[in-house]
Amino acid sequence: MGFPHKPHPKETVVLSQHFGDADARTVKGWTKRGGYEALAQALKMTPLEVIEVVKESGLRGRGGAGFPTGLKWSFMPKEKKKPHYLCVNADESEPGTFKDREIMRWTPHALLEGTAIAAHAIQAEVAYIYIRGEFTEPWTIMEKALAEANAAGVFGKIKIVLHRGAGAYICGEETALMNSIEGKRGNPRIKPPFPAAAGLFGMPTTINNVETLAAVPHILKRGAAWYKGLCLSSPKSMGTKLFSVCGHVQRPGNYEVTMGFPLKDLLYDMCGGVPAGRTLKACIPGGSSVPILNREETERTLLDYEGCVAAGSMLGSGGVIVFDDSTDMVYQIMRLARFYAHESCAQCTQCREGTAWTTKIMERILAGQGKMQDLDLLLDLSENMTGKTICVLSDSCAAPVVSGIKKFKNEFEDYIAGRRKPVMVA
Amino acid sequence: MADVMINVTIDGVPVSVAPGTLVIEAAKQAGVLVPHYCYHPGLPVAGVCRMCLVEIEKAPKLQIACATTVTEGMVVKTQSEPAKDARQSVLEFLLINHPLDCPICDQAGECELQDFVFQEGRSGTRYGEYAKRFNPVEDFGPDVLYVPNRCILCTRCVRFMDDVAQEPVLNVSERGDRAYIGIHPEARLDHPWAGNVVDLCPVGSLLSKDFLHKARAWELDKTASICTGCSQGCSVTLDTRDEVVVRVRPRPNLDVNRYFICDHGRANYRWMNRGDRIEAPLVRRDGELHATDWDEAFARVLGILRGASGKAVALVSPAASSEALDLARRLLSAFEWTGAFQVVMGEEAPLPGVPNLALRAERAPNAKGAEQLGYTRGYDAAVKAAASAAVVLVLDDPDCPVETAGALIYAGTVLPPETACRAAQVVLPIANVAEEDGTFVNRDGRAQKYFQAKPAPGMARPAAWVLGELAAALGVAEARQ
Amino acid sequence: MTVTEEYRAVFEGKVLEELQSILSRYPTKQAALLPALWVVQRERGWISDRNMAEVAEALGITPAYVKGVVTFYTMYHQHPVGRNFVQVCTTSPCNICGAEGVVKAFLEQTGAKDAGATSPDGKWTIIEVECLGACGFATPVLINDDFLENVTPEKVPEIVKKYR
Repeated sequence: MGFPHKPHPKETVVLSQHFGDADARTVKGWTKRGGYEALAQALKMTPLEVIEVVKESGLRGRGGAGFPTGLKWSFMPKEKKKPHYLCVNADESEPGTFKDREIMRWTPHALLEGTAIAAHAIQAEVAYIYIRGEFTEPWTIMEKALAEANAAGVFGKIKIVLHRGAGAYICGEETALMNSIEGKRGNPRIKPPFPAAAGLFGMPTTINNVETLAAVPHILKRGAAWYKGLCLSSPKSMGTKLFSVCGHVQRPGNYEVTMGFPLKDLLYDMCGGVPAGRTLKACIPGGSSVPILNREETERTLLDYEGCVAAGSMLGSGGVIVFDDSTDMVYQIMRLARFYAHESCAQCTQCREGTAWTTKIMERILAGQGKMQDLDLLLDLSENMTGKTICVLSDSCAAPVVSGIKKFKNEFEDYIAGRRKPVMVA
Repeated sequence: MADVMINVTIDGVPVSVAPGTLVIEAAKQAGVLVPHYCYHPGLPVAGVCRMCLVEIEKAPKLQIACATTVTEGMVVKTQSEPAKDARQSVLEFLLINHPLDCPICDQAGECELQDFVFQEGRSGTRYGEYAKRFNPVEDFGPDVLYVPNRCILCTRCVRFMDDVAQEPVLNVSERGDRAYIGIHPEARLDHPWAGNVVDLCPVGSLLSKDFLHKARAWELDKTASICTGCSQGCSVTLDTRDEVVVRVRPRPNLDVNRYFICDHGRANYRWMNRGDRIEAPLVRRDGELHATDWDEAFARVLGILRGASGKAVALVSPAASSEALDLARRLLSAFEWTGAFQVVMGEEAPLPGVPNLALRAERAPNAKGAEQLGYTRGYDAAVKAAASAAVVLVLDDPDCPVETAGALIYAGTVLPPETACRAAQVVLPIANVAEEDGTFVNRDGRAQKYFQAKPAPGMARPAAWVLGELAAALGVAEARQ
Repeated sequence: MTVTEEYRAVFEGKVLEELQSILSRYPTKQAALLPALWVVQRERGWISDRNMAEVAEALGITPAYVKGVVTFYTMYHQHPVGRNFVQVCTTSPCNICGAEGVVKAFLEQTGAKDAGATSPDGKWTIIEVECLGACGFATPVLINDDFLENVTPEKVPEIVKKYR
């Protein structure tokens, strides 16, 4: 449903069915609604069987990378010689994204159930759910739900532990998340080794996003074929996706649609379009780390992994940020660069220095002191920051800068030429 | 039994290396130095500086050479456009906050940032008039200063303290471009091996207080030597400027000290520059010691040796070279000979991350060498024997409590006013470890050569030469007993 | 300059029991660091160098190590903060929905001079933070552990009154 608004007929309601329904948060309420049946079913299957079902379904990671989930699970050692771990990435910090929060707030047991099934599939005895520190309400709800579920004994031998983050976007990167659980600075690790070989505490580990795991019970209950059939466009993208729409729309919220759904319909039909009297200027479809789309591109984008790439961006986390024509694109790109500069972990030279330098150049352009060479410089710096670091935070800073200069060059030029009143940034 | 070797090509040069070799190490075999900062063969791999990005055929992105293992047929290019552009961009990024301190920075002349920027950096910065990040200088401990402004966050120092010294007192604090190397106020950087972070630092961020503003790197002559601080026998380099030893640094030796020396050895050089040296041979005439030339001094010693018989005692310093110790024994081969040495003992301080490496309790470099040559550890018996010996030879131990009815011959570097050796018949001035070539045998029996770094003062000559001349005159130089 | 106050340990009695329970959830002591730091902050309102040394000792790691971790994560306070610690998201999705106006309103209403400073009466510290993960409910504001949604400048006086 377009939570917190009324459900829209064009939505495909699966994960969001019980959003807003406080009773679904209890074990009793959840089981009444058909919950924990999939888990019971999975525990009777072998791990390999569970992996096969998920593989067959075509489920892909919903955290941003879109890696096939069943395939990821199959990387874990089949023969168990060491402890295996599952990490659940509930660090949701990608600007524009707020879906995992809703899953945890309204359907905590969906997450717990998916976690337990995944743990069973990869033969993990312990699963850590890494919840970002700022999510105080989801934390409390998850704590309560976990305690209840444990008391009801639904997890068998699987132990689920909640781990609280403390304010670091970079801990959403899977290897940084593992370091954070281990009690270290949230620094991403160089790969190899890959988590399935040596991950958390050096043991074989799988990391999955909240939304990905929330889909797993549905896949087990209703079958891989059902899930695979939820497909409107590219045959490589199936299932439903929660799109977190925010910014300049009448009805911001989480909308669940089938993969391949037209972005245009999501924005105009479901969200009611931009505020009255305004026009759509730009849209970022997958969280701030993916390229910005202009209006024309936005209106022809199909929302699946391949469709977004075809339009010149990426599906990412599905955090849809909408900018109408009142937006100062230069200012917002500066603000995004500042976000990345603040969150850089400081390991890689390009990221540590580049994100800050990018921000400074953007601030200077806004202050009316920019030069045309600054745009070439920004593009050159962005290229130097792309594909050369341990993780992609550096690339993520470059994405809005490069696409912004390409598609909204006139706005930059207005500041540089003095046609626009300078903005002094704090 | 030959292992399977992996064949790779680096910048067109084919090399064969063992499986598991890192590209950056394989490159060395091809004669290619891949520019890098955070990588160090003595530390765990970090992969953070991104300087060693190289192009590898068939790989979609540039890869860091320090963390990529060779595979059969791998083709690596370090000089291709993408690789050079990447390196140049890393240098540019490093220089935006790194201050232009070269004129006042100790590292100038031996700075890896200078070197690579000169080699392939941009000729000018595009950073413009933005302010650079500023943090004040910090005193980390006994010998180490931290200049945060110059720090490139390679984290070599943190990894050294974490993994090699195994005392994690350094951290990376904060995030992003606000990051710096931090220390907790309740701890100091006083580990016995902490000084190595100064060597490891590729730039002038971690500095030795002892060496601060003392000399410019290009003024220094460097000589290979062996540390005299203890019996570990670490390989060192003596840095001299105008014939004064100004610094001791570790020299890589994979069999002994790898890349490190302890702070005790590092500080152990001032005595090499002592000014109060014996600068001429002295002979006793009319009850007093008079300066003379080598001919007269030798003649006097030979006279003593030829004219005496019975017991001879040699009391030697365990820091004398094996050559000198050997000749001292042969010189007295006509006598009933007792040889002994005394070693100052201290506390042992291991470097846990390196096998068999510690500041050893025996604070002398050649105790083992002396033992191998028949000298006994401990003076008590020898000093007693010396009292009634016909000849006593003291080799460079002015503190030796010697008293004899016989003839005392002293070969040493210094002759302090209160030393018992002032009672000698002949005083022979010798060179110290920085002024001669020689051999020390470390506690594991490893014989290692050290080389002359500066000239000996006045007429002082290496002990091996002095004793060698005498031995030759007596015809005992060649004979092996 | 040395203040020789008796140091009051955090991990005693029930709090120590809590630490033991935390330790049981991880195979290494070090992994209990982030939860342990949260406990310290809950008990004392902030984490001092001395607290860091205590945590270090309890977990068998060094104070410098703990400090490196504390300074990495922005939610740990290294200095005392106002009784109401207010975090306002101003990242782009909220920024275009008036987040900076919300910050300004809080500063005006509480008398805190700048973002980051504590108000004269010691009751408020207002800071701008990065994305709080509630972009569709702009502007989200975290006051201590209370996560407020849909905050506008108009609603701020009421909120400040409620928390004062």
